Amino acid sequence: MRVFDKNNIRHLALAVVSAALLVGCNGGDSKTDETGNGGGGKSSATAGRKAPTAAPIDAQGPTIKIGLVASVTGDNKPWGDDSKEGAQLAVDEFNAAGGMDGKKIEMVLGDSASKPEQAKTAAEKLMSDGCIALVGEVSSGNTIQMAKAAFDKGIAVVAVGATRTDLTDEGSHVFRVCYTDAFQGPVMAKFLFDKLNKKTVAIMTDNHLPYSQGLSKSFKETFEKLGGKVVAEKAYESGGTQAPNYSGQLTEIKSANPDAMFCSGYFTEVGPMAQQARQAGIKAVLLGGDGWDSDKLLTSGGDAILGSFFCNHYNNADNRPQVTDFLKKWKAVPAHNGKNPDTTMGALGYDAMALTLDALKRAGKANSKAIIDALEATEKYPGVSGDITLKGMNGNPPKRAIVVSVTAKGPDGSWQKFAKDYTPDQIK
Amino acid sequence: MDPRTLPQQIVNGVLLGTIYALIALGYTMVYGVLKLINFAHGEVFMLGAYGALFTSWMLGFGPEGTRTQSSPVVLLLMLLGAMTVCGLAAVIIERFGYRPLRNSPRIASLITAIGLSLLLQYGGQIFILNGSPQTIKAEANPYRGEIPISLRAGDKVALADAEKLQPGIEIARAAFVEQLKHEKSEFDLSPKGEAIKKVRDDLEQTYTDKVNKANEKAVNVLLPKGGLLMLGATLVIMACLWFLVKHTRKGRAMRAVSHDFQASSLMGVNVDSIVTFTFILGSVLAGAGAMMYATFLPGTKIDTFFGMAPGLKAFTAAVLGGIGNIPGAVLGGLLMGVAENLVVWAGYDNYRDAIAFVILIVVLLFRPGGILGSSKVEKV
Amino acid sequence: MIFASRRALSICIAIALCVLLQAGIRSFSDYVHTLIMLAGLYVTLAVSLNLINGITGQFSIGHAAFYQVGAYTAGVLAAKVHPAVSQLIWYVPLAMILSAVAAAIAGFVVGLPSLRLKGDYLAIVTMGFGQIISIIARNQEALGKAYGISVNPKQQMIWLVWLLAVICIAVSRNLLKNVHGLTFLAVREDEVASSAMGVNVTRVKVTAFVLGSAFAGAAGALFAHGVGFVSPDAFAMDVSFIILTMVVLGGTGSITGSTIAAVLLFYIPEKMRDLTSMKVGMLLSIVIALVFVVAVVKRVLDHYHGTLLKKAGIIVGSILVGLAIISVLKKPLSSVPALGTIVEGSKMRMVVFAVTLVILMLLRPQGMFAQHEFSWRWLQSLLQRFKRKKVGVPA
Repeated sequence: MRVFDKNNIRHLALAVVSAALLVGCNGGDSKTDETGNGGGGKSSATAGRKAPTAAPIDAQGPTIKIGLVASVTGDNKPWGDDSKEGAQLAVDEFNAAGGMDGKKIEMVLGDSASKPEQAKTAAEKLMSDGCIALVGEVSSGNTIQMAKAAFDKGIAVVAVGATRTDLTDEGSHVFRVCYTDAFQGPVMAKFLFDKLNKKTVAIMTDNHLPYSQGLSKSFKETFEKLGGKVVAEKAYESGGTQAPNYSGQLTEIKSANPDAMFCSGYFTEVGPMAQQARQAGIKAVLLGGDGWDSDKLLTSGGDAILGSFFCNHYNNADNRPQVTDFLKKWKAVPAHNGKNPDTTMGALGYDAMALTLDALKRAGKANSKAIIDALEATEKYPGVSGDITLKGMNGNPPKRAIVVSVTAKGPDGSWQKFAKDYTPDQIK
Repeated sequence: MDPRTLPQQIVNGVLLGTIYALIALGYTMVYGVLKLINFAHGEVFMLGAYGALFTSWMLGFGPEGTRTQSSPVVLLLMLLGAMTVCGLAAVIIERFGYRPLRNSPRIASLITAIGLSLLLQYGGQIFILNGSPQTIKAEANPYRGEIPISLRAGDKVALADAEKLQPGIEIARAAFVEQLKHEKSEFDLSPKGEAIKKVRDDLEQTYTDKVNKANEKAVNVLLPKGGLLMLGATLVIMACLWFLVKHTRKGRAMRAVSHDFQASSLMGVNVDSIVTFTFILGSVLAGAGAMMYATFLPGTKIDTFFGMAPGLKAFTAAVLGGIGNIPGAVLGGLLMGVAENLVVWAGYDNYRDAIAFVILIVVLLFRPGGILGSSKVEKV
Repeated sequence: MIFASRRALSICIAIALCVLLQAGIRSFSDYVHTLIMLAGLYVTLAVSLNLINGITGQFSIGHAAFYQVGAYTAGVLAAKVHPAVSQLIWYVPLAMILSAVAAAIAGFVVGLPSLRLKGDYLAIVTMGFGQIISIIARNQEALGKAYGISVNPKQQMIWLVWLLAVICIAVSRNLLKNVHGLTFLAVREDEVASSAMGVNVTRVKVTAFVLGSAFAGAAGALFAHGVGFVSPDAFAMDVSFIILTMVVLGGTGSITGSTIAAVLLFYIPEKMRDLTSMKVGMLLSIVIALVFVVAVVKRVLDHYHGTLLKKAGIIVGSILVGLAIISVLKKPLSSVPALGTIVEGSKMRMVVFAVTLVILMLLRPQGMFAQHEFSWRWLQSLLQRFKRKKVGVPA
């Protein structure tokens, strides 16, 4: 008797597949996140954020491990490197001061290669290595992946430079030490409209960066609300496929005759853009966000960038003790050759790590849940980039933003001139 | 879609296209000879930019350099620097990356090319200046500025009328500067300062409005001097290349190898040396392109991913013109450049690159061999 | 009958393994979960690209585009349907099928015109298509622009991921075994001849392309739900390149090869996270040793015709010499002040990956498995040979 003729096989296979589907469904629900929060981000302003439900984790072993996810390779390397150096500085300082109950802190680095997918695996690797808190990422796209991964484990994520507004809606474990795009966009719009008296503006957006898109959007909304007019909106793409030649977009902007031009991208693109804008005959004043902060802006922007304004977290020339202290320590690291950090991410990386360690100290125990609670309870932590308060803020500290103008490099290396500062109350 | 900007956009497109054309030549020649899409070509271009950068540093335009006067000799040296680096890189890549795989399936060399390009991108981040973005100083270029050409002048009467406001503006400015001496900060003024500022800003605003109104119908084209130089140099280079390929022994050998690899080797052509020569030639052109790009487009960021975008575009341009065809590569490059700028002109700057690819696909549907490529009938 | 039972056995074992995998790895960390999930997805991607590039002999270098189409379809779908529906057990498999359909349609639209042509046009068209899809995603509000969109529910269905991989492998393998499949191979070997024999070449090519795209789309949907978030950066061109590399490295046309290479190439960069930092001098000595070993091994493989044992002996010997070179050189080189800077291990990840690629390609250009496959028969013959030796029956 032929049991296994062709038809029988087919039926058997079908049966097995359906059985497997059933088994799989019943047995395969181990990792379901039922209450995913939408990316829309309007939900949690008042309702409070969803809290992770995972069991708290205690630090194991002779050291307390804190994970740092950083883009130390790939497109975002200049920022990733600085955030890493800053965080390392904070850890060294904490350890030199005795550590936590005699235990040293060990910073474990995970490279994200500037890619979201790798940021996720890096975060998961760090958590499986026993890190009880995560610090990191300079870009929002990578941070959201970390936040998603960390939610399942109930581990805090302290973002370094992720300014995307709805990022912290991901859960009550996400915090940041920088302000959001919903703040710095309006700051620049207000400054342009009130202080520079310019009523028409053109906007250049880097479509490759969520950061740039968010910033342009919030800038535009406020500027139009104030009564200004956006006469041209043009886009370009950094990295990827577009050659860094903006003459096409700039020619169109020129014909719209704006009084000002808002460039929300990074300094690496803004520098050449400024030069090309002047070449195309655009005389408008240029403005931008914190992505401009690097003294490389001066070499890439040449004379064209001088007299422009941008929004920053702090100013190297600031004489607050935190700033001078930080810069002194930074310059003392042999690898830095006595130079200031290249980008703001140095200070923000330092702040993010120092704040996490401060929370650890305040929590009194090396426990993941305790760190989240202590972070949430942060009040007026004196960071390099300003005072940080997280209590009741849904992870978004209300911080001061300063507007600085770009000047030629002085003998002491300073090139940002303080113009005006804004507190969150002034923007509301 | 403003007809007044169209002439300028075409100029922009041609200037961008020259760069694409220079890189596309490298792709097309290597493809012609080896039928290999040399994905590492963009990285050779990147190395060329670094070559130019380091040469400029050696000539005193470094980060700490103080030299501000440049000369054509500087440019020539930078060009040589870039070309040398590219030539060397090409020899190494060809000898150790591709030649051992000459008799393997074509796709194996392609993977090596991808591997090499990843190696150069990420390895460069560690070993070349720690991967931080660099720029060639604008001062290294002696030919700065633009040549304005007025195709249609603005309303001269209205302009002269606007100029009458100038003296008033000067006075207001002076008054504001005077007032600033009594103020704490330029952006935190006393009522009096605020009033002066308002007068100044209003005057300036009126002036700009009037000038803009007067120039409403004017059509101007700005020709960047650097860009013109670039265009000229590219044309000269291409003429040389044309001569080399068509009228020298080496060129004939190249054409033979590209026509039939095996037969030409049987006919006594030293295939290895021809392939190496082609690689060097293509890379040297990429080096020239890189140097001009980084110098004449001031402020351009040089990092290890520098070659990716132009490389991809140039490859597309090569296919568009007909891959393996030298005039085709030039034409394809120019068309790509112009098309991109026309897309921006039409107001679809968001989709600038997407449309470039759509154009490519559409062209290929109607002319599979590319614009100048031959659609050979395959004989069985 | 033996054939039939073998097939049933294969199916049962594969399915059982998928289910067991899900049940068995519960105790592992999230990291391992994600790795196993991503590995499964890459297997599907590599095997489905192998269907296009390996089995049918086309040249597509934009496979990530279809992966992206699938992922975004799932993302948009998840945002559109009622939350109550998306919580249902069968929702993710359903989304997977719909995404596969979407990707298949995209594949058809892209494939039909370009596959009529000869030459490398499919390559450039698929690459262009990848760019177009990315740019559209970056510009559409509904697709979350450059940031991306959340996909709910976030559910790592590892059993489904691997089941998809198994189905993909089974489909590819069965294609090779029946008449339809032979037309695919015929097209790969000689388009002109096969069309002369009555094969509708364009149809075969488009079928393979659409099928491959559909599997990539299905993988995309599972990726979207597994990670819970999709963004354009996750499908950049280098993802396409890596998938292509997996196919070539495994041996173009070999399903077994694609599968193993997918797991391997996915694993290497992840493993490299544990690289230790070292001085440039140390690195230099490793590079020197590596160049030496590769040169020797390449020579042996290409030009030496001794017995297998001798070959292996020389290779092992050269590796030992390489190790010796490292140990001799590392001290003096590291002590040179110019070479004393420390290179961080985590930064060398992609470099090591790239070097691995180049070396593997140089040493074995035809890929690990060339065109060979794993099969029960092969296993049987292996076992029999072993048995014969043991019992001492003369062959």
